[in-house]
Amino acid sequence: MAEDGTIYYTNGLPVPDTPAPGEEPEFWKETDVVGKRTPRVDAYERVSGTAVYPSDIKLPNMIYGAILRCPHAHAKVKKVDAGRAEKMPGVRALITGDSPEAGGLKWKYRGYSGPLFDAHCRFEGEVVAAVAADTPYQAWDAVHAIDVEYDVLPHVVDHNLALTGKAPEVHDQGNLAGTDEYERGDVAGGFAEADVVLEQNYETGCQLHTPMELHGCVADWEGDRLTIWESSQGVYAVQSVLSGILGMPLSKVRVIGHYMGGGFGSKLWPGKYTVLAALMAKQAARPVKMILTREETFLCVGNRPPNTMRLKAGVKKDGTLTAFDFECIGPSGAYPGGGTEIVDWLVRDLYQCDNVRCLSRDVYIHAGTARPFRAPGHPQGSWALEQMMDDLAEKIGMDPIELRLKNIPSISQGRGIPYTRTGLKDCIERGAERFGWKDAVKRAREQNRSGSHIKRGVGMGACLWIVGGGGPPSTVVIKLFRDGSVNLNMGASDIGTGTKTIMAMVAAEELGVKPDVIQIEHADTGTTQYATPSGGSKTVPTEAPTVRNAAIDVKRQIIQMAAEDLGAPAVDLDYEGSEIVSMKDKSKRIQVTDVSGLKKRGVVIGVGYRGPNPKNKSVNPFAAQFCELEVNTKTGEMKILRFLGAHDSGRVMNRLTYDNQVFGGIVMGIGFGMTEFRQLDANQTGKLCNRNWHDYKLPTALDVPVDMESLPIEIDDPEANNTGAKGLGEPVTIPTASAIANALYMATGIRFTKAPVHPMEMRRRLSAGKEG
Amino acid sequence: MRTIGAGAVSASLTGAAMVAESKPGPPEKILDATDTVKLKLNINGVNYAVLVEPRWTLLFVLREAIGLTGTKEGCGRGECGACTVLIDDIPRYACMTLAVEAEGRRITTIEGLMTGEELGPVQKAFLEEDAFQCGYCTPGQVMAVEGLLRKTPEPSMDEIRTGVSGNLCRCGAYHHIFRAARKAAIRKTR
Amino acid sequence: MLPQFSYVRPETLKDTVKHLNVPGAAAHAGGTDLIGCLRDGIMQVNKVVSLNALPDLHGIRETADGGLLIGAMTTITEVSESPLVRRKYPGLAQGASEVAGPQLRNQGTIGGNLCQKPRCWYYRGEFNCLRKGGDNCYALDGEHLFHAIFGHDRICVITHPSDTAPPLVALGAKVRIIGPEGKRTIPVANLHVSPADNVRAETVRKQGEVITHIELPRPPENLRSSYRKVRARRSWDFALAGVALALEMDGDRVNKSRVVLSGAAPVPWRSQPVENAISNRRLNAETIEKAARAVVEGADPLPGNMYKLDLFKGLIEEELYTVSRELR
Repeated sequence: MAEDGTIYYTNGLPVPDTPAPGEEPEFWKETDVVGKRTPRVDAYERVSGTAVYPSDIKLPNMIYGAILRCPHAHAKVKKVDAGRAEKMPGVRALITGDSPEAGGLKWKYRGYSGPLFDAHCRFEGEVVAAVAADTPYQAWDAVHAIDVEYDVLPHVVDHNLALTGKAPEVHDQGNLAGTDEYERGDVAGGFAEADVVLEQNYETGCQLHTPMELHGCVADWEGDRLTIWESSQGVYAVQSVLSGILGMPLSKVRVIGHYMGGGFGSKLWPGKYTVLAALMAKQAARPVKMILTREETFLCVGNRPPNTMRLKAGVKKDGTLTAFDFECIGPSGAYPGGGTEIVDWLVRDLYQCDNVRCLSRDVYIHAGTARPFRAPGHPQGSWALEQMMDDLAEKIGMDPIELRLKNIPSISQGRGIPYTRTGLKDCIERGAERFGWKDAVKRAREQNRSGSHIKRGVGMGACLWIVGGGGPPSTVVIKLFRDGSVNLNMGASDIGTGTKTIMAMVAAEELGVKPDVIQIEHADTGTTQYATPSGGSKTVPTEAPTVRNAAIDVKRQIIQMAAEDLGAPAVDLDYEGSEIVSMKDKSKRIQVTDVSGLKKRGVVIGVGYRGPNPKNKSVNPFAAQFCELEVNTKTGEMKILRFLGAHDSGRVMNRLTYDNQVFGGIVMGIGFGMTEFRQLDANQTGKLCNRNWHDYKLPTALDVPVDMESLPIEIDDPEANNTGAKGLGEPVTIPTASAIANALYMATGIRFTKAPVHPMEMRRRLSAGKEG
Repeated sequence: MRTIGAGAVSASLTGAAMVAESKPGPPEKILDATDTVKLKLNINGVNYAVLVEPRWTLLFVLREAIGLTGTKEGCGRGECGACTVLIDDIPRYACMTLAVEAEGRRITTIEGLMTGEELGPVQKAFLEEDAFQCGYCTPGQVMAVEGLLRKTPEPSMDEIRTGVSGNLCRCGAYHHIFRAARKAAIRKTR
Repeated sequence: MLPQFSYVRPETLKDTVKHLNVPGAAAHAGGTDLIGCLRDGIMQVNKVVSLNALPDLHGIRETADGGLLIGAMTTITEVSESPLVRRKYPGLAQGASEVAGPQLRNQGTIGGNLCQKPRCWYYRGEFNCLRKGGDNCYALDGEHLFHAIFGHDRICVITHPSDTAPPLVALGAKVRIIGPEGKRTIPVANLHVSPADNVRAETVRKQGEVITHIELPRPPENLRSSYRKVRARRSWDFALAGVALALEMDGDRVNKSRVVLSGAAPVPWRSQPVENAISNRRLNAETIEKAARAVVEGADPLPGNMYKLDLFKGLIEEELYTVSRELR
């Protein structure tokens, strides 16, 4: 323990006022720690290789699991014969639908409940059996030795065919998973008053999450207590699902997920693999490590569903939008997964328009179930809406940026309530200015007149994200040790966005201590506090105010204790750097670390809860992205020259990780717009053609521009929460593909309504002409 | 019992230990598919003796047999680069390298770039430039940059991009990775 | 996960051939293709024969007649960076530099690159396709975005994945092969097998045969060689369309030419129509236009890969204009 009670404090740093009990803290006007470019508190672990991810866990006596999956898009399991496999070297556990361990267990996902082993396999990748052995090699040898008889059934994997009546039914009640209808105003009237009405069909490909760390877990029993290390975005969600399926009290299921190698929505819940690991660990009385193979992760851990959309839009010559009519169909997959969920939200909410109708039909197909994927629905809807906006602008002879600025809504029309703040206008205006929009357009047009076969285009897209304000519940505990150092305890996962670092910065800001002396415990249901999964761009706006509240709770207690030491009423006291000082008599002061109550107890514990969100107001992040690119019209090759992301996500909490999010979202958007698509063998087997990272193409270092710029549009939003932070992780990937599509249009004069636009599609359309 | 519990090196040595020599042994000695064999590996300057099956990859041996888990598995098929290690200073995929093939070579993993607890220059640059998000591809990215700089101490931006073009980052931290590589190059040559 | 196999690392070619001369034996050079094939279970291998202990199969040296001899175990990186290769045969250096990504180039060998298995997603996937002993080619009626437009005879529509084979064929290279019946040397142009000849094999190598060296003839005067590849993604990817040129120039006139396409056919595809269109002609706009039209002569595209027709046209046009610009 340090002798000097101030060494863990940032000397001379003023700390925010401590609100009286029951009072809300004031919005930070200026910050000293928050917002600065701060390397991550766990960077050392991540760059040194010492960070232990769930896939790195190795326990004494541990064995390795592997899963036999149905190789057919649609089949019934007639017979499973594991006789050969059971006797193979190293096999310690084996489970099938016939095993007593599996009896009666139900798998539950988004309201669906069915047998853990369902003999009726509705997608390629459904579980049929599982094995655990001394090495993963032996486990796979045994999987290959299980003989299964299948009744192969007809399939439908094309969502556009699911409702035609000719397709086989995925479930007894038919292939319609759900319908969502929305209407406001008078749509027919809106079109009647339009000067220009356009209608267009759009399609987006199925994008797969494929985070770098494989999905998986380690399961370990100590008597009736189960511990799971899961690569997860939310340990409490995993705990809840597992305890439900296994019929165990929450207290007996401990889930740990300190580090995790990316999820993007696909790791919000556990998988059947988690349950199988737990069951086999019980069977073998040994810990089981169950890490899926890369190929499996293409089949059964979610996707961004492909969408087929139609958008009809009306506009007056002055740029007033008069009506939107939007229709969309998309597949949940084999089970409820949200095939069209919030695809229409941007049409409802982004631009001022009084008359809007939306119809979404979610269907079942014989393919892997969808899961939320970074800004669910939004990149798809943006693909339609932002291209339509550019087309409308062209038809009425208006600059696309002008048209958007003309239609900035004053309220959230989809909800009928105001936004706390909207930075949409600033994102578009300031982004365009920084990007040099006008010059870039001029430059592109000049090049395109020059006769070169290399054409140039610039394009942009704007967006908002449906949520992004976070909200309760969340609990955070901060421990102040008697030497002034701090322990921060929260349940939330850091999925790579820098959550831990931002929380350390918030605590440091509020307590005046150095961020690097803050030790963080997180993502462990056994030892850390309740949090919802990290997703929906809500982690920072949820947890940061909670951390702040916990820090304030610590300060209030210290002030109470100091009041005794100083013989002054607590109401007169407040923090001043590392000291507690009487505001009435500045000579009365004491080092925090000298406060006798703290010294006696050794530690003071502050508890913070996430307060409610503002009533009748909507908290949303906004953005605009800008892109410049070139097209080789002989070969169809494309090169993105630069990208700029102008984002209003409220207060910038850490500029370093903020920029990283912006760039990363753009990279993923480039994938959605140009390289990534799931290819099913629809006309023959229904099986997945591309189940690896060669056939399914993520953008590489050579596919993204070196020239990327992040322009934060920082607007004070004290109503959002007491830190003013809004979500960032999702808006960053919403308008990327549409900006690319609009730039491609400028370069080629072709509307690319089908995503992704890879060189094959580009070359096809260049040949087919504008109509193709 | 012939099986090897990972970490518990208790298996009996029934196969001929021909590849235990740094010079390959006579050809008539075949490593049987079902046998384990003693293999000497030089990893980060330290000699390890491990029992392996012929089919075990270097990645599996590093992670599960020896416990050097800094090297990650992302795909097991040479399509992501998370398992990049240096073999005789050259970046390669440990998932596409049989452990028996790595015999007699100098293997460097992310752990080998440290001096004690101190980060190496490339690791330091990654830390400062925030050249990662989830961090799972990071050891591979660091090794790719390390390999690049050992061969090309002052790389151009194009050389940097090509140098890490065998390493996927799903979080899309490429921009910061480029910056970190440049920073590390400047530091290393200074 | 890899299935079980035995492993041996012979020190002599004689022993290597002996070990390979049994069914189920496979040669391991760099391993980048073999390990993937084993993981995907696309062939039955019970013995892996490593070539890594063999002397003299590694390195690049100039031959007495001014050509090059490249050991089959020379890595792709070494080929792409060799000053000798770059000076004499830039097309080969470019081809090698376009292979996969840096780590795979560091590990994969030139011999292995010529003997790669195809990358068709049905062949590599869980489909019992014709090439693997099944009854039909799934790609023909299924998803064939990346597949062949030439030379498939509607039997099997794979494209040959190699980026070094097209320049080697264009440059008139030969491979030295050793096997149970001794040594033989054949042109790279005759190494690969079209589906009509044998749909189960990619090369003419017989059981027990292994490539030891690649011979490149002395480059003729005024040889201009290049390789250009179009791909869906800039790393790791195989060619959607590629072209290796070996032109013997006389001013702006092409005396002789060899034009070999990648991403086009189940084998490296020599385009005689393009050669005829440019050989003994001045490389002007008219010639280039003719050549571009010629490149798709005899093509048999499938519904899903029609785009390759105009892609090859555009590619030939762009490449030949690049050559003609260099002449100015």
